[in-house]
Amino acid sequence: MTTPLLEIRDLVIEFDTRDGRRRVVDGVSLTLDEGEVLGILGESGSGKTMTTQAVLGLVDGRPGVMGGHILLHDGDQIHDLTGGLGDFIRPARREGDPPRKDVRRWRRRVHQQMRGLWGRTMTAVFQHPRASLDPLMTVGAQVCESARLADPALDRAAARDRAIAWLERVQMNDPLRVYGSYAHELSGGMCQRAMVAVALARKPRLLIADEPTTGLDTTVRAEIVELFRDLLAKHTRSMLYISHDIREVLYLADRVIVMRHGRIVETATAADLRHGIGARHEYTAMLLAAADLHPGAAA
Amino acid sequence: MADSPHRLALFTSGAVVGLVLLLCLVALVVPYDPASAVDLSVRDQGPSAAHIFGTDSQGRDVAIRVLEATEAFFLPGLLAALLAVIAGALAGAITGYLVGPVREAVLWLLQLTDTLPRLVFIILVCTILEPTMGLIALVTGVLFIPSVATVIRRKVEALGSEDYILAHIAHGFPPWRILLYHIVWLQCRSMLVRQATFVFSYVLFVETALSYLGDYGVPEPDPSWGNMVAQAKSLGAQHLSPWLFPAIAIIITISATLAFGNLVARGDEEAAR
Repeated sequence: MTTPLLEIRDLVIEFDTRDGRRRVVDGVSLTLDEGEVLGILGESGSGKTMTTQAVLGLVDGRPGVMGGHILLHDGDQIHDLTGGLGDFIRPARREGDPPRKDVRRWRRRVHQQMRGLWGRTMTAVFQHPRASLDPLMTVGAQVCESARLADPALDRAAARDRAIAWLERVQMNDPLRVYGSYAHELSGGMCQRAMVAVALARKPRLLIADEPTTGLDTTVRAEIVELFRDLLAKHTRSMLYISHDIREVLYLADRVIVMRHGRIVETATAADLRHGIGARHEYTAMLLAAADLHPGAAA
Repeated sequence: MADSPHRLALFTSGAVVGLVLLLCLVALVVPYDPASAVDLSVRDQGPSAAHIFGTDSQGRDVAIRVLEATEAFFLPGLLAALLAVIAGALAGAITGYLVGPVREAVLWLLQLTDTLPRLVFIILVCTILEPTMGLIALVTGVLFIPSVATVIRRKVEALGSEDYILAHIAHGFPPWRILLYHIVWLQCRSMLVRQATFVFSYVLFVETALSYLGDYGVPEPDPSWGNMVAQAKSLGAQHLSPWLFPAIAIIITISATLAFGNLVARGDEEAAR
């Protein structure tokens, strides 16, 4: 019997736009088991990134999360990351307007709640690797900082050794040189490897990879996908892998969720999708056809 | 910082600042008694081998007084700069990061302080309280807190939505560390260096202004560049050396300090790019 690590129930995320309020995530529910890789597939604007931002407590925009539950299983404890959300939502001033939310106080509440969870239970690798690294710190210093947070007993030299070991594990050529380099001195692919090293050195139970290959060259994308595959094989970890590329998702994930217009349109195992088993939503069928899929193909 | 004119300028301004520091240390170590320095037999002399900057109306050696006067502003200037930069950075970090009543209260205090006209307020304080360099330094430092805080607050607010700060948050880096190390120290230190050298120079400028306008600066017979320059009011063009040399010292010190701060900050910014 598998234990769930993350459960999302009826998540609703809304944003105020010039044309009124827009629902970008509309009742999304999903479960991620311990040790499982769950792929979320969808085009831009499908709400897949917003869903993961909500899990991370980093939704930037008003009013943001407006309903649902995000449950994180942490040993015996279950954290409801949207607990008490109702207290921050108030009825509209005028009839016909959507309900209001005290975004600033809510954000502070989320930060307080997430403080002990960020890094330890989950962390993320984002879309833009170069922008995700501190421009004024060497890559090595960032991996060290991450490693020392995961293991406060490490002294300086041990943290350095561990950081170099992580840079080797993410298959960095010449890890010693990279250790002393800044983000602007590295290529996009190297930045993303470095970012993965920083994230994994923190030893999270759940790694969220939000389109980690977007913006990289095709060959580099394939390398990064291979890297994830390799890391997943060596260090069994739970991962939420978000992408718009069905081939990447099928290659890495155990289960796949397909999102469109803020809703989940399909949930299936990767094996079933690869082998064409089961009835498909027409959007999934279109994605499979467009990718001209061969089983086991990498990006 | 590859271009050599830049490096030369950095070296020159750094050398001047270092020289002033050295003179100040000498002044601190070597005792100077203004009363025993009086020698009416050699009053009002121009520069000579015995007195390279000449002597003043009481026969005191101008060169020695220029040297001894560094003691009057150097430590107060340092104190004011440190106060403005440290308190300003903290206030900026707090107002940039927090939401709620504490932020509003600190912002209100900063705005209130920022409305005070600096020189006028310092003169006002000096007329009410006993004017000492320590007090002048303290007031100057406090008056510069808002301008430092505003710069830091804007930076904290702007960087708050940057990808790498979000990544630091997601990795679980402690918020105080992100704020004080990743944002204030790594991103703002060149600005803080600029501000610090500006405040330091301002203390020297204020002391000069106060001495010239009235007796609010360092009181005679203790030497300060300000009260030496103030002698120009009585001596005028007949006898230049007692006020001209300290005036040149003020100009050189202020411009070298500002240039040094600027160049160090620019070097740091370029190294980061």
